[in-house]
Amino acid sequence: MLLVQILVNGVLLGGLYGLMGLGMALVWGVLNVVNLAHGALIMLGGYLTYYLFTGLGIDPFVALPIAALGMFVIGYCLQRFILNLIVRSAMLNTLLITFGLSVVITYLAQLLFSADFRTINPTYSGANFAVAGITIPVVSLAAFVIAFVLAGAVWWLLNEMTIGRAIRATAQNLTAARLYGVDPRNIYALTFGIGAALAGVAGGLFGILTHLTPYVGATLTAKSFVIAIIGGLSNPFKVILGGIVIGVAEQLASLYLGPTYIDVISFGLLVVVLVVRPARSLRAA
Amino acid sequence: MNETVLSIRKLTAGYGGAPVLFDVDLEVRAGEIVALVGSNGAGKTTLLRAVSRVLRAEGGIAFNGEDILPLPPEKVFSRGLVQVPEGRQLFGAMTVEENLRMGAFRRTDKRTLKESFEHVYGLFPILEERRRGLAGNLSGGEQQMCAMGRALMAEPKLLLIDEMSLGLAPVIVDQLLDVLTDIRSRGVTVLLVEQDVFAAFSVADRGYVMETGRITREGPVSELGDDPAVREAYLGA
Repeated sequence: MLLVQILVNGVLLGGLYGLMGLGMALVWGVLNVVNLAHGALIMLGGYLTYYLFTGLGIDPFVALPIAALGMFVIGYCLQRFILNLIVRSAMLNTLLITFGLSVVITYLAQLLFSADFRTINPTYSGANFAVAGITIPVVSLAAFVIAFVLAGAVWWLLNEMTIGRAIRATAQNLTAARLYGVDPRNIYALTFGIGAALAGVAGGLFGILTHLTPYVGATLTAKSFVIAIIGGLSNPFKVILGGIVIGVAEQLASLYLGPTYIDVISFGLLVVVLVVRPARSLRAA
Repeated sequence: MNETVLSIRKLTAGYGGAPVLFDVDLEVRAGEIVALVGSNGAGKTTLLRAVSRVLRAEGGIAFNGEDILPLPPEKVFSRGLVQVPEGRQLFGAMTVEENLRMGAFRRTDKRTLKESFEHVYGLFPILEERRRGLAGNLSGGEQQMCAMGRALMAEPKLLLIDEMSLGLAPVIVDQLLDVLTDIRSRGVTVLLVEQDVFAAFSVADRGYVMETGRITREGPVSELGDDPAVREAYLGA
């Protein structure tokens, strides 16, 4: 029974992980930029939700779309005015600048929000129900559902909408996209904005389920990176699945090896995946 | 004489400081099919890239009387100057239908989209058969048809076509040349870049010969085809 409970916990947590990986995979697939500031954007989205809740008294789940919108604007501007300058240069440059960005965001967050732990704690945060003896926390379930809904939304955007087709076109053939009326600078900014918005929602949910500090970004970037690689860059639902794999693996490791091994497991899996399917994992959207 | 659609004056362009084109003058008039021929590396593709504004250039490029040199590629495209690039450059992981939809990316009159699809599928029935298949899985000839179809979906006024016949079976090339004649009769002007001079001259009204970045000869294809130098260099006779 404990094992089943652990698996359920892992799956529910994995949905949130998948949502973290989704924004990173989208930006990676379209811009060919491994955004090392992705975790910092998740953290920022978490604090945005936190202050909407504690400062303005907005229910955290109502605050999520507002935080997403705010993060979209931040992401769009970051890409349009900074990252677009280097987006087509060597990957080392984009790694360096996004790493620098993560450092700046982290320490700005420390100045603005202090280094104290924060938890987004609505009255219903402890609510749960039982199905056949398995406890299901309402908030975790909500996070899981939101992750799937957003994966579906990203899928819909990319496959059924004109602007989404332009995003995929830009990823697949930049030359042809430019010849056919697509302005890549706008597409890149839009894509980065969407990635940041997804990070914002993930951050809000993360703040509800665990706790925030300005320093969570680095670990979350690493986790998102692993998930994006496992899930691939082409299908949003596979990214969520990648998140679930990591979530379950972490929970199992925590049960059998002890909580210390949680991070060892996710990065161990990264090594295994890179060895097993190195080229396939990096294919663009 | 018909009005000038594309007017290129003293155009210079190149890559990373190395010039490829030198003072190129070229003119395309409404309703014409103009062939630009020349050997590999003469600068034909560079010229098309400069006209589509994806390559920096100096000199004059006017499209329907408007100076398009300062415009970004998407604005040039919106004005109806559409290129079928060398090597087809399809969106390989998209379906044929999605590729065609990308051609209509800038179109605002989505109501007439259905007619355009019917037109393209009428010209290339194989594309309708394969519309749910990935463009990357098409044969070379089908890919060229898909690339042409994508361009037609943009409702071009001037079509720039780069190396349409490259690597294709003669029967396919003939079919594509027929399509060119057909779309010209619908009011589309065509600038055709080709290494296959014989194919290009079979449909074109006028021709330009380019050698190492310069236009060396021009005239009606009937005269160019009789020019001994052109015959020797390009027609193998």
